[in-house]
Amino acid sequence: MQHRRGALLVALALALTGVFATTLAAPRPAQALTTEKATARPNEDGGDGVIGGMDTRLTWEGTVEPGEEVTSVTLTLPEGSTFDGSTTRITALEGLKRMDVTGEAVPAGSSITVNFDQAIPEGSLLRLEITNMQFPSEGGECVVSGSYVSAGAEHELADSKPIETIANTPLQSIVNWLDDQPWVEAWNSNQFLGMFLKPQLLVTSFSSLAPGWILCLGIVVAAYPFAIALGLLFAMLKISKWRILRAIAVVYINVLRGTPLFLQIYIMFFGLPMLNINIDNNLLGIIVMAINSSAYLAEIFRAGIQSIPQGQYEAASSLGMNYVQTMFTIILPQTVRRVIPTVTSDFITAFKDTSLLSSVGVMELMMFSKNLTTVTGNITPYVAAGIFYLIVTLPLIKVVGIVEENIARSERGSGPRPKRRADVADSAAAQMKEATDAC
Amino acid sequence: MPAKLRHRAPVIEVPPALPADEAASIAYEADQGLTSHHFTPGEHPIVRIEHLNKSFDDTLVLKDVNLNVWPGEVVVVLGPSGSGKSTMLRCINLLETPSAGHILIEDDEITNKSAAEVNKLRRDVGMVFQQFNLFPHLTAKENVMIGQTKVLKKDKAEAEAEALKQLAAVGLADRADFKPAQLSGGQQQRVAIARAVAMHPNVLLFDEPTSALDPELVRGVLDVMRDLAENSGMTMIVVTHEMGFARDVADRVVFMEDGVVVEQGLPEKVFDHPENPRTAEFLGSIN
Ligand SMILES: Nc1ncnc2c1ncn2[C@@H]1O[C@H](COP(=O)(O)OP(=O)(O)OP(=O)(O)O)[C@@H](O)[C@H]1O
Ligand SMILES: [Mg+2]
Repeated sequence: MQHRRGALLVALALALTGVFATTLAAPRPAQALTTEKATARPNEDGGDGVIGGMDTRLTWEGTVEPGEEVTSVTLTLPEGSTFDGSTTRITALEGLKRMDVTGEAVPAGSSITVNFDQAIPEGSLLRLEITNMQFPSEGGECVVSGSYVSAGAEHELADSKPIETIANTPLQSIVNWLDDQPWVEAWNSNQFLGMFLKPQLLVTSFSSLAPGWILCLGIVVAAYPFAIALGLLFAMLKISKWRILRAIAVVYINVLRGTPLFLQIYIMFFGLPMLNINIDNNLLGIIVMAINSSAYLAEIFRAGIQSIPQGQYEAASSLGMNYVQTMFTIILPQTVRRVIPTVTSDFITAFKDTSLLSSVGVMELMMFSKNLTTVTGNITPYVAAGIFYLIVTLPLIKVVGIVEENIARSERGSGPRPKRRADVADSAAAQMKEATDAC
Repeated sequence: MPAKLRHRAPVIEVPPALPADEAASIAYEADQGLTSHHFTPGEHPIVRIEHLNKSFDDTLVLKDVNLNVWPGEVVVVLGPSGSGKSTMLRCINLLETPSAGHILIEDDEITNKSAAEVNKLRRDVGMVFQQFNLFPHLTAKENVMIGQTKVLKKDKAEAEAEALKQLAAVGLADRADFKPAQLSGGQQQRVAIARAVAMHPNVLLFDEPTSALDPELVRGVLDVMRDLAENSGMTMIVVTHEMGFARDVADRVVFMEDGVVVEQGLPEKVFDHPENPRTAEFLGSIN
């Protein structure tokens, strides 16, 4: 378990700092190479932290004491660090004189050995800049230790001051932290809470379910414009003068509304491959959702269009407008405002209904949470999925309420209005409600 | 004609429309003394209604209506509820399809026209409705502009200038950017009048323009109509229950009952010395 290792590491770091403190308190016999400092370049996006598990540059400096020469240095970082693909720059500063030293760097696990082509003379400040290295992804305080070779003999290097590094995923550190909390332990010891709302699993679920959630949103957001266009088309067909067009619309709308979406999904996902039509799962999901929603939207639009009082058509006609002009400049703009709440409700339904696509292997939210629940034997991922659905639906439900209220207010108007007109608006609204309730 | 009838409706036989010149000279003779509007021999009526019949299913609601309206004349139509006043008005711009008979505007028969021709006809016949029927999603100014831009294909600036002019004429220059819901009923009806007038129609029809208004708002709308009648030379056919308006502004008053034009004539004649007992009774009950 990763977090356990993290805890170990922290303990290790603490122990090492302890060692370091004692070395300060009781200095060792004179060293030939004294550690001056060890730093790492920040690699946090837009921050100044050093994140483990990501490439950075380690800079280490030490002074060669008088009467000594150094031919090789080995730097060792905590377990989990890597020097794979490292490139090293060696600089020696002698007073103001600066010389570039060539050498060979040999990475070995979490340490790297740098052999100099020429010995570093006494009194120089030796600087090693090692790029393309990584600290342990768990993060923590990283002390640079190691050894050096002077006059053919190998000696231990003094530990550097620890370099603060951040765990690779904040999520992981939260999990680590949660593991250590007594209240979490108490919480999880309750059978219900531990099974449905385990904090650690909730946190990990959020990150592992996110792609499924994005896919759900993506499917419904991509499907909806087509659903609206198709819905409008079939709404117009259904109120058309021609009986054949009306019949086509009625069949389309009633078949789609009269059968379960689940069935429609099965027919499309299993039927099309049998006809050797192979469409990407996600794309097919978008198509099925668009077609299904279009039937409901067609009814919403039809009811919306028919809720516009006859007087609006008559006024437009008496100005000489033709049917198309009347529809697009007078009727539909008013319809749009009226149907926003119902369309939003349908959007909410469509978004939730993407869950059915999990049954045919679309990697959406339900699919992810089902997998995670299977792996962990815990229900918490489903609860996390529920929270993901609510993040989208609750604000939309709120929007529906606000828009409905605004419409009610603007229909009431602010100035005195003739009584009969209000009746007309009311009965139109009632009529529309009736029509959409029937959906 | 019979082809246009609903199969259950009784088939009504009417003679064909009269030739224009003959109709004009007959109208010239017949309307002498019926209207205070001045018309000349050789002038043609702008609206000619001959043997107009209209039935809804089995009920005949207009029975052989005949009426001429001269260019610039103001005709007020009176009558009890259900007498067919609105139906007659709505036949003139084909919001209702006549069952039989002829309506001619500038000697052009409007019945049996194609949809495109009907739209063209309607831009020349304006209508003001009892329920205003403003477009609620558009501002007052946009309400007045939309017919000009969409139907007359005027450019936006020109339509806007015209809209502001017409709104000013109905005393609503300062309400140009208000939505209908922000206007009083009287203001809405004045916008509706501006919207109709901005199309510069040949004939303007009013169907009880003040009936849906609170009493204190009626005056403003009537003043606008009076101004139109007296100063614009617009031909107006007005269905109203405002007797004061009819008496002061009308060139001719037409009294309808039960789908029939019972009496017509000068306002003072019809109001003070009605020939028909039903007219007398109606006016008595109103006054
Ligand atoms: N669309 C329709 N379908 C069936 N009958 C109709 C229709 N429109 C009007 N009618 C009937 O035709 C007759 C005349 O109606 P109309 O609206 O023309 O009367 P009106 O004189 O305008 O009355 P009001 O003063 O009440 O407006 C009435 O009996 C009415 O019921
Ligand atoms: Mg009427």
